[in-house]
Amino acid sequence: MSSLETVKWINEQFKKTNELTQKTLKYEDKHILLFYIKSLIDQELLQKLIIKPFFEMATENQFKLYMQALPQFQEGKSTEQIQLEVMNGNVIIVIQNEIYLLDLKLSNNDQVNSTSVETTIHGSQLGLSDNLMTNINVIRSNYHKPSLCVEYLVKGEINQHKVAIIYDNEKVKNDVLDTIRKRLQNVDKQVITSTTQLNNFLNDKRLSLFPRMIMTERPDRLVYNIAGGKVILVVDGNPQALATPAVFFDFMTTMEDNYHTLLISTFLRVLRYIGLFISLLLPALYVGITSFAPEVFRTELALTIAGSRVGVPFSSFIEVLFMLFFMELLLEASIRLPKAVSATATTVGGLILGTAVTEASLASNIMVIIVSAVAISTFVIPVNEMAFSIRIVRLFFIVITSVFGLAGLTLSFYVLIMYLVRLDSFGEPYLQLYISPKNKSKSEEQI
Amino acid sequence: MSKQIKNNLSVVLLLLTFILLTGCEFKDIDKDVFVAMIAVDKSDEAGKSYKITLKLYEPTSSFKQMPEPTYSYITESGETISEAVRLLESYSDKKLEFGHSKLIVIGEDLIKEDKSKEILDFFLRRPDIQMISWMAVGRPSAEEIIRLVPQGETAAYPELFNYFDDNGTESQYIITTYLFDFRRNMKSAGVDPILPIIEINHEESHFEINKSIVFRDKKEPYELNSLDTSLFNILSNSTDNADFYIKEDEHYLIVKIDSVKAKKKVQVQNNSNLKLDIEINLSGYIAESKKQLVNKQLPYYNKLFKKEAEKQFNDFFSKMIKGGYDPLGLELDYKSQTFHNRQMSNEEWEEALENAQINIIINPGLKSTGVIQ
Repeated sequence: MSSLETVKWINEQFKKTNELTQKTLKYEDKHILLFYIKSLIDQELLQKLIIKPFFEMATENQFKLYMQALPQFQEGKSTEQIQLEVMNGNVIIVIQNEIYLLDLKLSNNDQVNSTSVETTIHGSQLGLSDNLMTNINVIRSNYHKPSLCVEYLVKGEINQHKVAIIYDNEKVKNDVLDTIRKRLQNVDKQVITSTTQLNNFLNDKRLSLFPRMIMTERPDRLVYNIAGGKVILVVDGNPQALATPAVFFDFMTTMEDNYHTLLISTFLRVLRYIGLFISLLLPALYVGITSFAPEVFRTELALTIAGSRVGVPFSSFIEVLFMLFFMELLLEASIRLPKAVSATATTVGGLILGTAVTEASLASNIMVIIVSAVAISTFVIPVNEMAFSIRIVRLFFIVITSVFGLAGLTLSFYVLIMYLVRLDSFGEPYLQLYISPKNKSKSEEQI
Repeated sequence: MSKQIKNNLSVVLLLLTFILLTGCEFKDIDKDVFVAMIAVDKSDEAGKSYKITLKLYEPTSSFKQMPEPTYSYITESGETISEAVRLLESYSDKKLEFGHSKLIVIGEDLIKEDKSKEILDFFLRRPDIQMISWMAVGRPSAEEIIRLVPQGETAAYPELFNYFDDNGTESQYIITTYLFDFRRNMKSAGVDPILPIIEINHEESHFEINKSIVFRDKKEPYELNSLDTSLFNILSNSTDNADFYIKEDEHYLIVKIDSVKAKKKVQVQNNSNLKLDIEINLSGYIAESKKQLVNKQLPYYNKLFKKEAEKQFNDFFSKMIKGGYDPLGLELDYKSQTFHNRQMSNEEWEEALENAQINIIINPGLKSTGVIQ
């Protein structure tokens, strides 16, 4: 391609953009052409790396060699690549009819955020950033092993977002990796903006209650998961990553479990599982026991509950659903509200509504205690997505229990377990205790 | 809207309507009234055998605001218990819930009539009466017992329960018999059921439970006095406390036992000679004495104690055997170790028991004189 043709061709490619800047540098017998999108590149860097040396170099050849030596350098091979790279913040340099690409991307989102969802007392307080490269940098600098592989894909037909697949080549199970690659290939969505979206897109079932990928913002969790043979997915512009395959018990662990002494972390784990069962079963148990089998309670408790229900106009299950509904509203509202207002919302909702409801005898005192116990124990579940699933399962339990009593509750609990047993996450059974890293091949074992 | 979405929606709607169809099994807890105790008496009315009285809890929303216990009572007579209960159900606006009734009191008059099987039948068949209810005999009548609310009783937990539930008093004079236990002993040949007797001290309005009564088929029930009741409790290992009074020489001691272990063994020799080996470990300390005691003399006190205890237990056994009552289940013990085709007949057993050699070994374990010297 001659110089003129090239220029023509590039202009042809980007004629839809109004931001493409074309610059011709000419000094003595040196001559280069620059194309870039002004808003995407770091202009200072451009001045420092290209423009200034250009005027200092003696010959065009020297400048060309200098270009090739720069770390941001890559050769422009195909037209698609050039188009894509320009949109990613590369500068096209046409020199002696050759096309070079120089990555001078300006990113303002490469600051590492502090953890906000998975906060811990021990360990690093820093999470991921919104920038893919920074994230990979963070992961790599926490996982020093040459077997750590990163694959890049571009997803989202319209917005062309970068997705990275990160795994340890030595630990990962190949069939899991293949499934993920295959499913990623099949994702044909117009716009991809968030990592957690992939959670839905990679799932083969539309109506699935439980998350099969664990969302995290903690680099230590990512490293822990990579070492455990999991595959990490990161989308550019997202401070969260996905680790998969994930089993149920992954969602019940926090990174801090590894940082405490055994006794303390066992205690915390037991506490967490008790919290899980309370948030799952307590409202349904309340309905089942008070309305179907009051002899299960101690006498005093039965009398207190019977007494506190005096004047309450609703049946116990309506009462439970009514209070849970307000609790869910409160939870939802406090997520959406600006931080400054959310504290007020919780006070208004939690304290004022709670006392007012019992004063007006719309719900019994015991009910308010149960609902707040349930709310608190829902927060104990460390991974947010699991907490959401549990909240939905809880509603199912209440409905079934109010129709079929304690027997219904027992049965629906069996159904839940059966459902969990049937689930799998990328070929790994969902209810196994943990995912073992790559099984050694049989020949290796025999040796 | 596609057909599938329509179908799905209709299924969801159908499920949602289910919640309104909770059926008649669903009953809110405030529509139940809980029965605290059941009293069964002999009816005064002609043609009716039973008088049932139920003690009902009145629900309160806060025991802090109403610390005084409040109960209501309903009474009805009937030819059978169920007949009476069915009528009682019409006396209450709420459903009678027997799930929390912990005590069944049977009137003394009824005991003499040998109707226990008939009475038990109702309690055993009714599903919401718990098999772990306690059984007792009320003197003078069951109704009076359950109608008494002693001073200082707290709400929601009748004082009478504390006597039996091993949480309150641990007196050695109180026998605790559960409904299932009573029924089992009644059915099984070789052990006679025993029930505590609840009496009322009217002047001070409190209960007195320190006697018991043994039932045997086709025989008049036999009443055990306080001492025998406590000895029975020791022998059946159901208490850890005991007191023994020793009056020997110039000593007058009261021994407080805080650990009891009793073993009993029925041995058959030469096919018809019975030997009862009773070994009882009693350890404790001296609680009271009229004379100065010396620690070095403990072996001597132990000897005195041993002699006294042996005498008391011997008396107990001879009383039981002479009367033909067997609350300890000696016959059951024998039957459990002999093949059914080699067992003696009932008459043979009674004769053998009367001639049995009773071998009581007391291991006294007085550890201290109770004072530091």
